[in-house]
Amino acid sequence: MTNNMEPVPIGSMVPLTGPSAADGAEFRKGMILAVEELNARGGLLGRPIQPIFADTCRQTAEEVVTAARWLIEKHKVHAIVNGYNIGPQNSEYEPIADAGIIYVHANTLLQHHDTVMSDPDRYFGCFMADPADYWYGPGFIKFISWLRDSGQWTPQSNRIAIISGSKPYSIVIANAMAKAAADYGWQVAFGPKIVQTPTHHWRDVLEEVRSTNPAVLANTHFYAVDLAHFQRQFRANPMDCIVYLQYGAMHRTFNDIAQEASDGVIVSSVIGLLRDEMGKRFEARYNARFGEGSTATIGCQSYSNMHHYAVAAAMAGGSGPPGDFEQNRKVAFALKGMIYHSVHGTIRYHPDWQAVVPYPVVTHDPSLGMPHIFYQIQDFRKPLSMIAPEPYNTERFISPPWMSGRAAAARQVATRNPRGLVGL
Amino acid sequence: MKDAPVSADPERLGEIFAGLDAAPLGILIWSDERRLLYVNDHFRRSCDFPVTVDMSFEAFIATMAHWPECVLPIDPDTWQRDQIANFGSESSQDYLFATGLVLNVTQTPTASGGMTMSFADVTAIKNNERALQLAKETAEATDEAKSRFLRAANHDLRQPLASLKILIYNCIREEDPEHRSDMLHAMGIATSIMEDLLGALLQIGQLDAGRVQPRITSFQLSQLFERLDVQFRHQAREKGLRLSFVSPHGTIATDRALLERILSNFVANAIRFTEVGGIVVGCRREANGLRIEVVDTGRGIRPEDRERVFDEFFRSEEQRAQKSGLGLGLNIVKRLAGLLELPIRLRSEIGRGSIFSVTVPLGNIWHSEANEIEISETVAGEFVGTPIVLVEDDDILRQTMTQLLQRWGIEVHAAAEEAEAIRLIESGVSPRLIVADYNLKTQTGVDVVERLRKAIGAEVPAMIVTADAEPRVIESIRAAGLPVLVKPVSPPRLRVLMHNLLFEPSLAAVAEPTAAESRRNAP
Repeated sequence: MTNNMEPVPIGSMVPLTGPSAADGAEFRKGMILAVEELNARGGLLGRPIQPIFADTCRQTAEEVVTAARWLIEKHKVHAIVNGYNIGPQNSEYEPIADAGIIYVHANTLLQHHDTVMSDPDRYFGCFMADPADYWYGPGFIKFISWLRDSGQWTPQSNRIAIISGSKPYSIVIANAMAKAAADYGWQVAFGPKIVQTPTHHWRDVLEEVRSTNPAVLANTHFYAVDLAHFQRQFRANPMDCIVYLQYGAMHRTFNDIAQEASDGVIVSSVIGLLRDEMGKRFEARYNARFGEGSTATIGCQSYSNMHHYAVAAAMAGGSGPPGDFEQNRKVAFALKGMIYHSVHGTIRYHPDWQAVVPYPVVTHDPSLGMPHIFYQIQDFRKPLSMIAPEPYNTERFISPPWMSGRAAAARQVATRNPRGLVGL
Repeated sequence: MKDAPVSADPERLGEIFAGLDAAPLGILIWSDERRLLYVNDHFRRSCDFPVTVDMSFEAFIATMAHWPECVLPIDPDTWQRDQIANFGSESSQDYLFATGLVLNVTQTPTASGGMTMSFADVTAIKNNERALQLAKETAEATDEAKSRFLRAANHDLRQPLASLKILIYNCIREEDPEHRSDMLHAMGIATSIMEDLLGALLQIGQLDAGRVQPRITSFQLSQLFERLDVQFRHQAREKGLRLSFVSPHGTIATDRALLERILSNFVANAIRFTEVGGIVVGCRREANGLRIEVVDTGRGIRPEDRERVFDEFFRSEEQRAQKSGLGLGLNIVKRLAGLLELPIRLRSEIGRGSIFSVTVPLGNIWHSEANEIEISETVAGEFVGTPIVLVEDDDILRQTMTQLLQRWGIEVHAAAEEAEAIRLIESGVSPRLIVADYNLKTQTGVDVVERLRKAIGAEVPAMIVTADAEPRVIESIRAAGLPVLVKPVSPPRLRVLMHNLLFEPSLAAVAEPTAAESRRNAP
C-alpha cells in the first residue's frame, strides 16, 4: 500500500474485437462510467483510479492469459475488473494468482468453483461476480414448473427436449437442466444433444426433436445469431411447446434477424439490470453518457464490479500492486464480507465458492442473492418483458403465438405468502 | 435498643437487644395493645419497609397490604382483614417480593398477649425446591417419552426391516448381476430409511415433552412419493398387491420428514389390512392446499372404530386375534398432524376399503428444496460421465491425476502400462478419450495410444502429457498428430484441451504446449 496520490491502475480484459465485441464495448463503458463516478468523489482514498483496457479478441485461453500478463507486467495493475471472457476456462487465474492481485469477473462458469475450492489460499483474489452457468439449469426447471403449477400454462405433456451448443458453458447448463428435471415432474425425452456450434443449421435436430413431441424445448447455446436462425427454422414448422433460448436471445441482434419469429420466446439471465428505481436511474445515466443506443443491462456488470471493488479496497485501507499479497488479502476479505446491492441485484459472495449466490434457486431471500431473471419476447420491437422471479418481475407470461390456445388466459391466482413471493 | 422500653437493668437489656439485632432474621415484637414494641436491626437492614416503634398493627398491615413490592396470595383487602383478625394466633406463610426474594413470615403469640413476628429469607430454599420439582417432572416426562419411543421404534422399524429381509432372501438366490445390483440398491435405501426413521422416532418420543420443532420447508411431493415407493413396493409385491403412486405436480410447505412419517404409516396400514387389490397414493387440489390420499381396497373400518383408530394402542378385534401391530401407527399420525396443524381425514366402507388423507398447504416452488444446492462438476459438469483411459506409470501422478479428473465428473480408468490399459479395453471399457504419459518405462505414450486405438478399433481422441519439455520431443509428439501438454499440467489447460478434443475437434489442433508457463512461483 502506498500513500502517494498517483493513480491506481485497474485492468479490464474486454473483447473489443471479435464475435463478442458488442458486449465488450458495453463492459468498457460500464468501467468508464464507474471510474468517472468514483474519481468525481475522490477516487480510492484520494487516489484517482485509472482503467486500462486489454482486448481479449476471440476470448481464447491464449488471448485472455496474454491480456492478464500484459496488465500485470506492463501496467502493474492492482486488480483486474471486467465482465465475462468465455474460453480461458480459468487459465487466466494462474498469472493473477502468481501476482497476488484481485480479479473480479462475470465469467458465469462452474469451473470457477472447482478452481477456487481446490486451493483457496492460492486463488484468494479470484471472484466471480455472477452465479455459475450451472444455475441456469435448475432455475429454468423451476421456472417452467412455476408456470405449470400456477396455472399460467398447461403443458400437453411432461416431456422436455434439451439441445446444447458445443461450448462448456452450454453443456453444463444442459446437464444441470437434465439433472433437475425429474425432481419437478419432468421427463427428459430428448438430449441433452450437443450440436457443433457455431451453426445456422438446426433443421435436422429440430426434426429429431419433433418425433418426441415435447412440451418444452430448450436450447442452451448462446450465440445470438445462431439462435435467431434456430428460432426462424422452428417457426417455419412449429411444435406445441415452450421455447427457451438461453441468454443469447436477449441481444438486439437476435431480434434483428429473427424479427416477428422472436415473439413468444423465453430467455433468461443470471445477471441483468433490474427495472426498479436504482436500475432505471443507472440506465438514464448510462444512456446520457454513452448515447441511447447503449445497452445498460450489459454495461452494468463491469460497472457494479468496479464500484464494489472500490468500496472493498477503501475498507481495506487501499489497494495493492502485484506482489502485495498482504494488502490484497485485506481487499479480498472486505469483498467477501460485504453484501453489496448493485443495480442488478445483490452481490454476496459465498464464503467457499467466492462466487455470487443466485436467487431464488439457492437463497430464498432476494436481498441475499442475484436474481435469475426470466424474460419473454412479447413484441420484438419492444424491450423484453421481465416475467419472473417475484418481486422483480414487471410483466406476466403470455402464451406464445405458435402454441395451442389451452392456456391462453393467464389465470390470476391468489397468493398465500404475505411477502407476495408465492404467486401460487 | 433505643426503641426498647427501659424497665430492667439497662446493661443487661442492651446485651439482649444486641443479640436480637445480630439474629439472621427480622424480628418485630407487638404488645397486647397491638403496638410495635421492638424492631431489630436485621429487619431494618433487609426490608425496605417503613416501620416505627409504637405504630399500630393495623397501620403496619394496611401499609404492607398496599405495598407494591410484595406479591400477596389473595386480594389486598381480604388479606388485610384476615391478618388483623388473626393477630396473636400462630401462623407461618411465604411471601414473594418483586425482587425475587421469598420471605417466610412466622407469627407466634407471647405470654403477655402480644405477638412476635419473624421474617426469614427462604429464597434459596424455595429456588432449590422449584428446581427439584422441575427436574422430577422432566425425568418423569423423559421416562414416559422413552417408553413411547421404544414402542414406536419397534412399530415403525418393522416396515423397512421386513423389506430388507425379503430383499436379502431374494438376493442370496439371485444370479443375474443386474437384478442383484438393483436389490442391493434397494437394500441401501431401506437401511437409510431405517436410519431416518430412528431419527424421526427420536423426535416423536420427544413430542410429549414438547421438544419437537417442525422445520417447515417448501419441497416437491414427488420426491417423497419416490421414497415411499422404494420403502413399500417390495412388501406390497410380496403380498400380491398393486401399489401405485400417481406422480403429483406440486410444491408443498410442511416438515418433510414428519409428513413422510404420516404417509408411511398410512401406506403401511393399507398394506397390512388389504388382502386383495391394491393401494393408490395420489392427491388432489383443494382450496387450502393439496389433499394427499392413500386409498386401499382392504377390509374397511367399522363406523364405531373410525375415531378410535387414532387412539394409542388401539387395535381392532382382528388385530388382537392376529396379534399384529402395536396400535401406535395412527396415533403417531394424529400427534404429528396435530403438531404440523394438518387436517387428517378417514373415509371407509366395510368390505370395500378405506381412504386416509392429510391436507398440506401449498408451498412456493421458487423456494422448493431439491438436490440442486450441491453444486459440483460431478453433478453436471461438461465432462460428467465421460469415460477416459489414463496411462501413467508414476503411482503418485496417476493417483493425483485420477482425483483431479474424477472431481470433474469423469469416469477414469487408470493404468500404469500398456498391457493393463489393453486389459481395461478388453473388459469392456470404451473410452471417449485417451490421456497418456510420454515417458513410460519401456515405450512412449505415442506408441501406447496407437495400440489402444487398434484394440478399441476406432480413432479415439487422445493426448500426451510429458515432463520432457525438449522441443525435439514435443515436435515428435505433434508430428504423430497428438496434442501435448507439459507437466506440471495446468488444470485449466487440461480442461480446454479435453473440451476441444471431446466437443470441438476443430479447435483441438490449435492447442499449444505450455512448456514456458511458470506456475506457483509466487512468494
